[in-house]
Amino acid sequence: MNDAALDEVKAAPTKKPAAALSAVNRILRYSLVRIVMLFITVVIVIYLCVLVANMGGYVDEIRRGSIREEVSVAIFADQSPDIKGLTSAQKKELIEGRVALEVKRLGLDKPFIIRSFIFLKDAMTLNLGFAEQMVSDSGSKSVKLILLERLPPTLVLWGAANLLLFFLTLFIGLYLSRRYGSLLDRITLALAPTSSAPGWFYGLFLILIFAAVLKVLPFGGMVDAPPPESKLMYALSLGKHLILPVSAVIIANVFLGAYNQRTFFLIYSQEDYVEMAKAKGLTDREIERKYVLRPTLPTIITQFALTIITLWTGAPILETIFNWPGLGRALYRAIGLYDTPVIVGSQVIYAYLLAFTVFLLDFIYALVDPRVRVGAGGRKA
Amino acid sequence: MTEKETLLSIEDLRLYFRTTQGIVQAVDSVDLKLGVNEAMVILGESGCGKTSLSRAVLRLLPNNVDTYSGSIYLEGENTMEMADEAFRRQIRWFKMSLVPQAAMNALNPVLKVGDQVAEPLIVHHRAEKEDARNQAAWMFEKVGVPVDFLDRYAFELSGGMRQRVALAMALITLPPLVFLDEPTSALDVLTQANIFNVLKEIKQELAVSFILITHDIATSSELADRVAVMYAGQIVEVNTARSFFTDPLHPYAKLLMASVPKLKVEQEPTFITGQPPSLINPPSGCRFADRCPSAFDRCSEEPPVFLVDGQQVRCWLYRAKGVRA
Repeated sequence: MNDAALDEVKAAPTKKPAAALSAVNRILRYSLVRIVMLFITVVIVIYLCVLVANMGGYVDEIRRGSIREEVSVAIFADQSPDIKGLTSAQKKELIEGRVALEVKRLGLDKPFIIRSFIFLKDAMTLNLGFAEQMVSDSGSKSVKLILLERLPPTLVLWGAANLLLFFLTLFIGLYLSRRYGSLLDRITLALAPTSSAPGWFYGLFLILIFAAVLKVLPFGGMVDAPPPESKLMYALSLGKHLILPVSAVIIANVFLGAYNQRTFFLIYSQEDYVEMAKAKGLTDREIERKYVLRPTLPTIITQFALTIITLWTGAPILETIFNWPGLGRALYRAIGLYDTPVIVGSQVIYAYLLAFTVFLLDFIYALVDPRVRVGAGGRKA
Repeated sequence: MTEKETLLSIEDLRLYFRTTQGIVQAVDSVDLKLGVNEAMVILGESGCGKTSLSRAVLRLLPNNVDTYSGSIYLEGENTMEMADEAFRRQIRWFKMSLVPQAAMNALNPVLKVGDQVAEPLIVHHRAEKEDARNQAAWMFEKVGVPVDFLDRYAFELSGGMRQRVALAMALITLPPLVFLDEPTSALDVLTQANIFNVLKEIKQELAVSFILITHDIATSSELADRVAVMYAGQIVEVNTARSFFTDPLHPYAKLLMASVPKLKVEQEPTFITGQPPSLINPPSGCRFADRCPSAFDRCSEEPPVFLVDGQQVRCWLYRAKGVRA
């Protein structure tokens, strides 16, 4: 592999057709292997998720029990003469019959192990099915509709918070790494442990101060009630409701995040080529851009891509505190209701997003780092 | 020295570092003069402050600097009085450049070497990219790197080629002074010889001055016009290459020369016993006294610099022969 790679390096400047062809071959072969590997990973992850969401089959027991209870209550409460006149043995028979029918209708008569593979197949083909208890605001039981309905609020909240946080910590970290040991650096270091408390914890205080005492910002929700008519007013109202939850997320994470980035950049700022760039008389901005950020781009892109896809999961408690109609809260409710199709559906999409991102990152690395070539083993030099 | 115009004049340069153990006097009161188109070798063992001296002149300082004082006159201008931004614009790579210790790590791994070599021209001379690249190609030829390597990355070059690229980078703006910080210590003997030949040619053609920092006495003799010996943060001898390599003055320099193996001579190379003193609270008096075979009672006092036939030596043995500088 290494010899072949070396040959290609030598051939690269002349761009021989044979070399180009072998490069295409290599990339195709690599992609295929990678897709198969990622597919296996996704299958395992989703199957585990199916098992966990169903408590290894125990959820079926719970549901059989609740069906029996519902049917019994319905029969005993039924005041129509042809049921009221039945003996208790007959009633029992009737209950058994209806329970069996309902169990069969829901597919609960098959053993769980078989049902788990049916779940898996449906999940893998993105046939997310119907929720058992939850209903979307538009009244549909389709898992797809329930999730899609909750997606925009989550994207708005977490998109704003995470992107802001990402770039804030990136640039604060870069700034501190160039001035490490300074007062600002030591303050950030000292404040890093504040990130051990989650966003919702700071959210409580923010609500208390800005909504309850100062009364300048809303307690929660996504827009004013009733929602403003014009688009501009709607956006302004949304912005006003975003301030507190976004601030809570940022306060909870910015110091530790900046500390992380600062340490990361500090390591890369001590490379000899950074000092050479300084000796060459480059400006600080150029050094940061071409000699610190550029060589670390693969890592930064990875962090960014993972930040983007974690948007999918939302955050149950923060969304609950701020009464935000997002995916996190939907997932939290689904868990409470043993609504496995919703839980599995949400995780399936996350698994696919993650696998796709990981697949894409390999190619992005090869684009931004000349030392990395797709399918040519690890880094050289 | 007399016939050559002075390019660089260092006076009482001090560079101390703060550490948890105390203050390290890495460069302690160094005086040095360098002429135009002259090559000076700074010799000394590891940890004697050679690299710190070059860092002090180039103003490449770490965070823990305690004292940084003295004067550095470069073409008559005191660079120590310059603000950082003025120093960056007027001195860095314009008047002084550096070939670093390990060229392996001195090149940015994700930028083409040609662009890195051309970069100083674009920064300092506001050159067009095309012109800068042409100049880089010309410089590649001068130092013996194939021109099509301009579009390669550092990891695609061998160690010797990287060192030549680093050299091309240092020369691209034709600065009057180039620091060579052990430029060949990581290379094999053949490549070392090649690079020293290139250096000699360049010195003749482009009329630059070199300060070569090394512990390799044998290869340095190829290039040197004059030799300065550093010991424990101080310069103990400055001599012409001719008289230094045959008859050094300072007892440390004598022992240093005796430690170099020679061909066709029966004499076995010797070694210097003991270790250099710690630069944290160095001994008062002569810093070499503990290891010196000719030490006597006077050595407990700090020796001044004596001039012996125009050469400087910091040793009490020359109190009769020389005059106090």
